[in-house]
Amino acid sequence: MTASGVVKRVGSPLLFGVAFLGVWELIVMAFDIAPFTLPAPSAIWSAFIERFDQVLEETLVTGKNALIGFLLGIVFGVLMSLLTVRFVGVESLLTPLAVAVNAIPIVVIVPILNNMLFGTTSQVPRRLMVMLIVFFVVFINVSKGLRQVSATHLELMRSYAATPWEILLKVRAPNAVGYLFTAMRIAAPLAVITAFVAEYFGGVQSGLATGVRNSLNGSKDVTWAYVIGASVLGLTFYLVSSGLERLHGGKQNSG
Amino acid sequence: MTETSEPIDVTRAVEVIGASMVFNDGTPARVAALNDVDLVVETGDFVSLIGPSGCGKSTLLRLIANLLDPTAGDVRVNGKPAAQARLDQDYGMAFQKSGLFEWRTAAKNIELPLELKGWDKRLRAERVGEMLDLVKLPDRGSNMPWELSGGQQQRIAIARALASHPPLLLMDEPFGALDEMTREHMQSELLQICAATHTTVVFVTHSIPEAVYLSDRVVVMSAGPGRITDTIDVELGGTRNEDTREKDAFYGKITEVREALRGSEMTGEARGIEDR
Repeated sequence: MTASGVVKRVGSPLLFGVAFLGVWELIVMAFDIAPFTLPAPSAIWSAFIERFDQVLEETLVTGKNALIGFLLGIVFGVLMSLLTVRFVGVESLLTPLAVAVNAIPIVVIVPILNNMLFGTTSQVPRRLMVMLIVFFVVFINVSKGLRQVSATHLELMRSYAATPWEILLKVRAPNAVGYLFTAMRIAAPLAVITAFVAEYFGGVQSGLATGVRNSLNGSKDVTWAYVIGASVLGLTFYLVSSGLERLHGGKQNSG
Repeated sequence: MTETSEPIDVTRAVEVIGASMVFNDGTPARVAALNDVDLVVETGDFVSLIGPSGCGKSTLLRLIANLLDPTAGDVRVNGKPAAQARLDQDYGMAFQKSGLFEWRTAAKNIELPLELKGWDKRLRAERVGEMLDLVKLPDRGSNMPWELSGGQQQRIAIARALASHPPLLLMDEPFGALDEMTREHMQSELLQICAATHTTVVFVTHSIPEAVYLSDRVVVMSAGPGRITDTIDVELGGTRNEDTREKDAFYGKITEVREALRGSEMTGEARGIEDR
């Protein structure tokens, strides 16, 4: 990439971001907007610095919930898609259930898990919620990758007298790897959002959403400080997962 | 059948007896892809199947490979039922799309049938090396398929098809996607490889010069329903090489095949079932 290319790619959005914050700051000053309604970026920044340790702590709580749910969702999503592709009967049993579960709003499931199964002292319902959302994305995408294999490859495997397990392991699974990385890129930000929303609906008094909720009555600069934590967390998940996808894609198609 | 006739059966690489193939029978989309086809390929022969689209040449190849089961008739390969021959991996296959597994290196692609057959790892590596030498790509084993040209990909596919020493090679327009120069070069290579490995070949093509150049016999097929209309023996004398393409006998055979194809088309029209 040329120097001017770098300036264009990184410089323009950066300039726009700085300008956006500047205009925000000016509007808050010019119209004398109360911090209770909309705090100025400078106020948010100082609140963020002031409470950095607490914001970090809540970010790590939410991040841990999102990560555990994310990994569990991937494991179950991959296992289930392997099973449904290998055993045709399982698919007709499982897919409608997966779709039905996915259709239940988070808002409904989290209180049910909180109240009925785990009480309000556990992070488990939040992690389960993240797992459900991630599971669905992984299940749908990986199933597709396992099925969309080239007809020539299947004919070849038949000519080698390969068993269904060999076809699954040597053709379908490698074909689905790219689909798994795509599913991870889609599911990673979803995992953070779900962990955040799940915290919002009760449970243990920890996590970013709890911080946001508890600060809503006071000055909003604290609320926005937690929002910074949430965006950094979401961005991290997205960058890592899309980085992994690109790494895999680069290995696969560099020519 | 008596005991004494058994050895005669074994020498036949392929024996198709009264085979018919009907797709979607009993529905409006019913297609008679093949109707009562008989074909014998002797061991060591190079036989091409040629004909217009829809004449069932690829279907016939898939019956021999037991990728499809005939709706009527019988298919035997190396004296066994086609299904048993497939389980014993008595044949290798190559397609128009090279069908290389894009997540495996060239060497790993050649190795796959050996892996599935349960060969020992050391033997596999040795055999892959031999095959890379045979198709004249000794340095390309570690390349991924997309790093190879179309012709190189087809060579790897042929190496893979022949890796486990099958006595029979089934090819479905393997050079159809290559440019003319590469194609002619690959044809000569294929003849050398088959001579070196004593492989019987059944080769589907829609190119008349290709069929004539490669084959001991050209089987002419016709569509609607798919059937064999003519079989032309190709005697060109001596070893075939690039000079063969300049010979009068070569042109004579091309004309003969072309007329056989045209003749089968005419009868098709006369019967009002031309399918194009």
